[in-house]
Amino acid sequence: MESTSTNPRTKPERTAIEITGMNKWYDKFHVLKDISLSVTEKEIIVVCGPSGSGKSTLIRCINQLEQYQEGTISLFGEKLEKNKKGANLVRDNVGMLFQNFNLFPHLTILENCTLGPIWLHKIPEHLAIEQSTALLNRVGIAELASKYPGQVSGGQQQRVAIARSLAMKPKIMLFDEPTSALDPEMIKEVLDVMIDLAHSGMTMICVTHEMQFAQQVADRVVFMADGEIVEEGPPEQVLKDPKWDRTSLFLQHILSH
Amino acid sequence: MDNQQKKHGALLKFVPRPDRPPITITYGPVGWLKKNLFGNLWNSLLTITVFFLLFLLLKPFLEWTLFKAVWSASTRRECLSISPDGACWAGIFPWVNNLLYGLYPDALQWRVNLAFAIGLLWFVPLALKKVQQKILFALMGVMLFPFLANYLFLGGDRSSVHYIVACSALAYLLTLYINIILTYLNGKRLEQHLETFMERFSKKRAALLGHSTIWFFLTVVIAYVFKDQALEHVGVDAWGGLFLTLIISGVSIVMALPIGIILALGRRSEMPIIKWFSISTIEVVRSVPMITVLFMSVTMLPLFFPNTMELNKLVQVLVAVCLFAGAYMAETVRGGLQAISRGQYDAAKSLGLGYWRTMIFIILPQALRIMIPNIVTSFISLFKDTTLVSIIGLFDIMLMARNISIDKNWLGLHTEPLVAISVLFFVFCYSMSEYSQRLEKKLNTNR
Repeated sequence: MESTSTNPRTKPERTAIEITGMNKWYDKFHVLKDISLSVTEKEIIVVCGPSGSGKSTLIRCINQLEQYQEGTISLFGEKLEKNKKGANLVRDNVGMLFQNFNLFPHLTILENCTLGPIWLHKIPEHLAIEQSTALLNRVGIAELASKYPGQVSGGQQQRVAIARSLAMKPKIMLFDEPTSALDPEMIKEVLDVMIDLAHSGMTMICVTHEMQFAQQVADRVVFMADGEIVEEGPPEQVLKDPKWDRTSLFLQHILSH
Repeated sequence: MDNQQKKHGALLKFVPRPDRPPITITYGPVGWLKKNLFGNLWNSLLTITVFFLLFLLLKPFLEWTLFKAVWSASTRRECLSISPDGACWAGIFPWVNNLLYGLYPDALQWRVNLAFAIGLLWFVPLALKKVQQKILFALMGVMLFPFLANYLFLGGDRSSVHYIVACSALAYLLTLYINIILTYLNGKRLEQHLETFMERFSKKRAALLGHSTIWFFLTVVIAYVFKDQALEHVGVDAWGGLFLTLIISGVSIVMALPIGIILALGRRSEMPIIKWFSISTIEVVRSVPMITVLFMSVTMLPLFFPNTMELNKLVQVLVAVCLFAGAYMAETVRGGLQAISRGQYDAAKSLGLGYWRTMIFIILPQALRIMIPNIVTSFISLFKDTTLVSIIGLFDIMLMARNISIDKNWLGLHTEPLVAISVLFFVFCYSMSEYSQRLEKKLNTNR
């Protein structure tokens, strides 16, 4: 709980994500300024910072949901091109979770999970159902499989979204504020699943304000402000002994809340 | 009572409860009348006045349509001599056959009836609960049925390909029904009997192979059985009445949605040529009155084809109406597409679904569901707009109704035929609207 140096998980030296010199502008507004970040396999990174600091944009760029003008992203040593090959590379390796869950409302929870495996991995339907049911079991909502997303609570929806992403067997998971649209009593059930995922050896980048979660599982905390990485390091250092005023001010706001 | 008194030890004195006021009936038709129409003096007065006014309004109408109407006469003159103020419904009856079938020969009308019956049969299973793969056989119906219907309507010497496709349509419908009956009897579906045999060729597609084999076999049988049955040719000129109206509106309604979807997706596309093609098609077609599109299709389209080629007036009209309906539908569909949040696209993309799969599985099902009321409104107005083809001389139900007034026996009988077909149109359009509301309710339970 207190320190990552005692973390028993062995870490191979393979680099999962390598971002170098990334710049992005919305028209004239400079959203991401010279971002460089390297994530090793099985590492858990928590990205935090005030709103508008470019955290979400950063991980949306990794998932190719947004275009960036300068810099490169590599996944497992392969450079991410802006073409079909790059899209396949992202698709095979990266899963993403959203603040608003973004489940498909016209499909049942099970269908939400099996859609990708059936059509993209070409898995026979009965096998896909089997695997997805196992995943729904893992996130603790197997009994809701035949319901529609609109019929279950926010926390349950977010857990379905996790199962849906996991069904595609990603090596890297990106979380874009997965708990900030949830009622307080539902945050824990989602965090529990995320912690479980972290312990299973998933490479994760989480944009979140849940500092408890950061302390518990993060290997590194990255603090962003105004499109720059202001500070990064092990959670105990960034959270308890920040070097920069911006960081400590932000942490005071969050923790006093 | 006795026990209670003993418990208390002493006799309680009986005090009668005060009477309650009598119940005013607030249920049933009488109660409803009392509560809503005759609640107090003012309401009663208002009710009586309104009913009196209604009576004044409806009285001439009812007198004309029912009480003073003439139901049997041989000429309009006779009608007028019997009752000059009433409607002359007698004029409609001799024309009913023409209103329904146009100039289609009486002896051959069974072909029209048969084709429509088969068409209905094709869509009945859509309402059954146990039937699976409804979308598949609806699609097959849309693709195969027109050949069969055209074969029956037109008759004459058709190409052998046309004949085979018509037979295959019949065969497909037959397999469909046999399977449905087997499903309801909890038996094995047809192709399941062949599955073990077919697995020798392909494990994955055994069911599909089995079904295709049976379908092919039945097609051959049907083609063989009917090979000597020549159908007399009935030219498109003879088609008319409700029959023609249903063909035009049916084809355009079925085609409007795919054309509209393609144009709507094209308009939102990022590829400039496709985008500008879609925008210009939609805007040009939408900005021109339908009548001009119809006239142009008949007068201008032949100019683009070689002299020797004889174009079919009906086909020209169908192309024009489909294009017109598609352009309108495109904007309706686009409205639905815009209502889908960006998050849905993000989620589909991060799952790795490509453009077409995202559209087919995620976006269009939601967009079309939202737009059901608007889509059905378009269908209804399209159904009514097809009456415009009477202007370019196709004998649809409208032109047939107008023709009654120039029949020498019924000269000048204008109003009654129009009232009659209005009633017919109301029945069709209202059932479409009812169906759409049921569809909406059914689909909304999933949300």
